[in-house]
Amino acid sequence: MTVSSRDFVYEKFSDFYSDPSTVIPSPSLLGQRELGFLLFKERIMLRHKVFARISNLKLFLGEAVPSDVYRSCAYYENPAAEMDKKGWLGADLVFDIDADHIPTSCSKIHDEWTCANSECGFSGKGITPETCPICGGRKFDTKTWPCDLCLESAKNETAKLIDMLEKDFGFSAKEMSVFFSGHRGYHVHVENEAVKTLDAMARKEIVDYVFGLGLTISGGTAKGKSRRRGASRDFSLHDFGWNKRLKLGLQNFLLTATKEDLANAGIKGKSAAVLGNKELILKRCVEEGRWGSVKGVGVGTWKKLAEYVKDLESAKIDTVVTTDTHRLIRMNGTLHGKTGLKKVEFPLSNLKDFDPFKEAVAFKEGAVKVFVSDAPEFRLSGNVFGPYKRKTVELPTAAAILLICKGRAEVAS
Amino acid sequence: MQMETVRFTQNDLAKYPFLKETAAHMKKLNLKIEELANPEMEQILNRAEERVKSAILSVSVGKKRENYVEIPSFPVAIMLAIATKNSFIKKRYALAEAKQAFSDMRFETRERIMAIALDFDWNLAPNRSSEIPFEFALNFADYLRNTVHLRDTEWKLVNRILVNGKVYLNQHDVARLLQEEVQSRIERRLEATELPSFPEKITEMAERLIDLAKDRIGQEEMEGFPKAVSQSAFPPCIVALHEAVSKGHHLSHVGRFTLTSFLVSIGMPSEKVAELFKSFSDYNERLTRYQIEHIAGERGSRTRYTPPNCATLQTHGVCVNSNDGSCRGARNPLVYYKRKLKR
Ligand SMILES: [Zn+2]
Ligand SMILES: [Zn+2]
Repeated sequence: MTVSSRDFVYEKFSDFYSDPSTVIPSPSLLGQRELGFLLFKERIMLRHKVFARISNLKLFLGEAVPSDVYRSCAYYENPAAEMDKKGWLGADLVFDIDADHIPTSCSKIHDEWTCANSECGFSGKGITPETCPICGGRKFDTKTWPCDLCLESAKNETAKLIDMLEKDFGFSAKEMSVFFSGHRGYHVHVENEAVKTLDAMARKEIVDYVFGLGLTISGGTAKGKSRRRGASRDFSLHDFGWNKRLKLGLQNFLLTATKEDLANAGIKGKSAAVLGNKELILKRCVEEGRWGSVKGVGVGTWKKLAEYVKDLESAKIDTVVTTDTHRLIRMNGTLHGKTGLKKVEFPLSNLKDFDPFKEAVAFKEGAVKVFVSDAPEFRLSGNVFGPYKRKTVELPTAAAILLICKGRAEVAS
Repeated sequence: MQMETVRFTQNDLAKYPFLKETAAHMKKLNLKIEELANPEMEQILNRAEERVKSAILSVSVGKKRENYVEIPSFPVAIMLAIATKNSFIKKRYALAEAKQAFSDMRFETRERIMAIALDFDWNLAPNRSSEIPFEFALNFADYLRNTVHLRDTEWKLVNRILVNGKVYLNQHDVARLLQEEVQSRIERRLEATELPSFPEKITEMAERLIDLAKDRIGQEEMEGFPKAVSQSAFPPCIVALHEAVSKGHHLSHVGRFTLTSFLVSIGMPSEKVAELFKSFSDYNERLTRYQIEHIAGERGSRTRYTPPNCATLQTHGVCVNSNDGSCRGARNPLVYYKRKLKR
């Protein structure tokens, strides 16, 4: 980012936070939370800050103009103290669903990564790997894009998550809040007395549940003697929790499944038997609650189907965020330094219709000339822009800031 | 459907002496620590000793006596275990009491199970759904708090019926989870740091119990090393790390990982390794155990980690660069250890 681009973004962020009409909603018990700010120019993180009132915070934001504002999910006796002296009182249960963790077909088109090891520099397209395939390094420079399709798949994962939180975990709509993260995904926060004091390990169990990790599919919950004999033939499925999700998921998948879909599930040789017996399989599984007893569909195939359906039904959350009981998470109503979009809350019931490229737009006025190096087609506030390649264009402030923050454009001199 | 609250009888308190109500009962009896040495208290004292002794010998608490002996013998046994100042005995005693409670609770009436659960502030209710074939419905947060140490996959939340925030359980499973709760309650009581001055009789008894434990369990195992682990074959870097940790010094992340993965690799059980780290101010038992079990491959990825190679340890300053000849040619602390063992 050139100095003039940075100054431009800084000035716009400053205007936003100084504007009296900007509202930053206060999280519950603000005074018990730690706040953190990433400073624009210095690129350093200010941590361990506390604000008793949201109005004080707003004043501070207008003066300090951070690129990103975070607040702890945790509540502390003394939020301003060092980490081990804070006195942890509990934490909200938070979930982060980010396109970075969801495989989409378009990520190969708009996402790139480069190994940060200067001696290696290996690069590729699509989802960033955990370790570099060449040097094994774990640090990468990434170039991603908040694309419509990716955000749509993040939304689907969010819907699955919320369904589990509601039906299985029994959280009420009042206890859950859902947000657009301001970049490539969604956040779900749960504030509930019983979960507030759960430690990292207990939260990991919740993560595993949402992910379907460790789900025993080989059936045979029966103990002792019957385990050996019964397990290989019939797996019984009851009508609750994950069992029910497997049933419904299988129904959804199988009804429209093609040969290719089955191949994706790892079923090749037996695909004809599965496709030819769709109804019988569903009758056995959904109505009678058991896997098995379909000619030509052996235990191996049943398991592959179940594993695949489990994967479809699980919600792809960022596991690290949920298990970290001291996590700082972006504050509602503040700007995302990588996009200039706001983190915004919206009603649970609105998930389907929520349009981040409309509702999260913070800058509604003005225009500026920018030189765009490379940008795919994108939507913002109901207008379509791009694609651009090495082109100088005049763009509305919000679009210009998005491209500048994503490293795709600079203010034209 | 409101369950009628059960009032615990003296029989209940004798069976489940860890209940909060026992404390109220004891208050009424008004026993004094100095009086324990009196001859008329001998029955109680002997029963208390037997509780701890059976725990050491067979992880049990011995045969029940009449209520007037049984109930007060529990707090006295707690005091006795504290007086040993021995973490092995304390842990073993808490486990023995918890196990006894489990076997009693398995066949307890549903009402009493509910009342015991309430004593631990659980949100437990009788199952009201006729479609779900389990007797109890437990709030999932209470469930999670008490299953962290239970490693069998059947205890994973994902393998349970979870509907509307409730985990459905049979009485056996509820009793098993209560066992965990009983154990940690007793362990907390045994952690008491402000020790009263014990009468001589108690101190002597405690010493006899320590001797018994040394005799039956072995000094090494009590300190965390099973007989199969040979401390004399440790390479110098591990000796240094082990010494540092025993003195309560802080280890770097790499140091911690090296020591943990080394000890686990040579066959020390995870819980023994966890005890080593106990003296740290930031010690969090569950977290430490979790990390160790992770390294031991008992959790998560199920990969068992081995210590880093000597070259890596040198870069991170964990290697102590001693002149120990056996270090020469060893790529990894484990190689050193195995070599030494053969000699
Ligand atoms: Zn690389
Ligand atoms: Zn995309």
